[in-house]
Amino acid sequence: MRHEETVDPARAATPAAGAPWSAKTPLLSIQDLVVGIRRRREERHIVRGVSLDVAAGEKVGVVGESGSGKTLTMLSVLQLLPPPVRVLSGAVRFGGRDLTRLDDKELAEVRGGEVAMVYQDPMSSLNPLLRIRTQITEALRAHGVDHDAAAVRTREVLGQVGLPDPLRIEAAFPHELSGGMLQRVMVAMALATSPRLLVADEPTTALDVTIQQQILDLVEDLQARTHMAVVWVTHDLGVVARLVDRVVVMYAGRVVEDAPTGRLFERPTHPYTEALLGSLPGPGVGHRSALTQIGGTPPDPSRLPPGCPYRARCPYAFDRCAVEEPPLLDRNGSLAACWKEPELWR
Amino acid sequence: MALALQTTDLVKEYPRRRSTPVQALRGVSVALETGRTLGIVGESGCGKSTLARLLVGLEAPTSGSVELLGEPLPAHPHRGLLARKIQLVFQDPYSSLDPRLTVSAALGEVLGVHGLAPRGRARQARVEELLAMVALGSRFLQRYPHELSGGQAQRVAVARALAVEPKVLVLDEPTSALDVSVRAEVMNLLVRLQDELRLSYVFISHDLAMVRHVADAIAVMYLGRVVEEGPYDAVLGASLHPYTRALAEAVPTPDPVAEARRRSKPVGEAPAGTGEAPAGCPYNPRCPLAEDICREVRPELLELAPAHRAACHVAARHAGVPSAVLGSPWTA
Repeated sequence: MRHEETVDPARAATPAAGAPWSAKTPLLSIQDLVVGIRRRREERHIVRGVSLDVAAGEKVGVVGESGSGKTLTMLSVLQLLPPPVRVLSGAVRFGGRDLTRLDDKELAEVRGGEVAMVYQDPMSSLNPLLRIRTQITEALRAHGVDHDAAAVRTREVLGQVGLPDPLRIEAAFPHELSGGMLQRVMVAMALATSPRLLVADEPTTALDVTIQQQILDLVEDLQARTHMAVVWVTHDLGVVARLVDRVVVMYAGRVVEDAPTGRLFERPTHPYTEALLGSLPGPGVGHRSALTQIGGTPPDPSRLPPGCPYRARCPYAFDRCAVEEPPLLDRNGSLAACWKEPELWR
Repeated sequence: MALALQTTDLVKEYPRRRSTPVQALRGVSVALETGRTLGIVGESGCGKSTLARLLVGLEAPTSGSVELLGEPLPAHPHRGLLARKIQLVFQDPYSSLDPRLTVSAALGEVLGVHGLAPRGRARQARVEELLAMVALGSRFLQRYPHELSGGQAQRVAVARALAVEPKVLVLDEPTSALDVSVRAEVMNLLVRLQDELRLSYVFISHDLAMVRHVADAIAVMYLGRVVEEGPYDAVLGASLHPYTRALAEAVPTPDPVAEARRRSKPVGEAPAGTGEAPAGCPYNPRCPLAEDICREVRPELLELAPAHRAACHVAARHAGVPSAVLGSPWTA
């Protein structure tokens, strides 16, 4: 199912959503986020100054290769970074509050409440010793829902995610369910508290394409009904084309391009985005012909040479790229971190 | 054209305590022409990886046979010298390379075990030659796997497979664990090596775009059986089996315009391969075209277009081929 029509905000806004929907004030605002490790006086930065806004109801895709910092950026939102990695500077505002400054109790309210997260491997996110029912009601109880209401809501969300026979599913243990079912349970659990933001980190990467299709349909459908914002972290450009309104491309710990989905696929501005799209097999690429390679290897974000981190792999690189790292600049509707001359913009 | 590899009615059952055996493969016959690539696609549990293990002789089939270069391939532990001619490359290069061995030691070990290059200078020369084949310079000789990028590690894994001069490579999801940006590099290398060394490939993947790009022929597997096979452009461009269509349609394409027009149809989930297959066509519970006959009689894999076979009653009727004789026991 595909919901292209704009959803009436009055109908879409859930009671829990609170603040009225507005495209102008972002729901989530990450500003100059630096994530890394600090040992004595030495700092290693892995996320190097990421700024990213997500409006209420917006669907944003975050793409990049392993080590680009996309997962750490999103883990910073909920302060779930694995020690010793931590936020070194910058702010993560959600609904006006800086999440980096909340204490544990306040964070517990946000996590799984207004902001929910779904991870790649559902098996490792669920407790193998507890029934599905117990795990979802536990999450609801933690957010102040009373016992009876939590039981009702659990059954309701399991039905909403299209699981057949919710009564059997809620009594099951995780190992009794297939990967696709478990990922739907994770989505159900994430949605139980009617979050305003769903962060999904490669939730379909381990699944078959047929199951992936079901999860994508499901999230699209629920997003259109509840008008929650969605941030989808992935390396699959097909999923991005399918699901999101806007794409953020990360490279070496920074955002290198931020553009509306149609614009990005039609006219990628950053050479890295262009190379990524060009490397895919597909129509117009001859059978067994050489695919466009991205030469070289991604740099280690914590040991970058001066200048643009992509320059060693970039066919457009010129002297300025070796001296100064480009900031995100407006390039005819795309934000791109590239010094490339205007006549080379696409 | 000569066949590099052929399987005949491969069946693999895994016994279970107090239960019927798991039927991972229920009669698979595929053939691979010399110098060509056979793509194998299907969902998890369809038997793709079991097939890979049988093809290289890591496990013995319950029944049926594998013929490599025209000779029957004995299974482990009787693999013998013929087994060298077929090598398996795994999905995750980091877990298939020993973390304690340098690239040089890993390649040297294979040469030593197989007695292919005596110690010393000759072996060193061969190791460097193998690295050069996968476009890695001698500066990689003393690196450990953790010092390699995903693409480099997979190239070392390919070099190791090539050390024993195989004729056939079974590539089990060789690019799936890699970043999008390095998949092209590994695929280009595999295509180049195939042409240079006249290798034949079995390419197992769930990345349909990549399979379409490199495979000459494609076999689609469902619950331990081949349900459609033929030339790559026919199987994915003019699919006969509704399962192949569902699989192809489920893949999101990197094209927002096409994706906005998408009206996906839910296809349901594959049942776990453990139990009994449903009566009739195994795909019938998920199939939008299922008719009465599909719930009663299992369709045979029949040639419905030139070199293009499918196991589907509806497709057979459209092609004017009788797919089954109702009530005949051998079709059930």
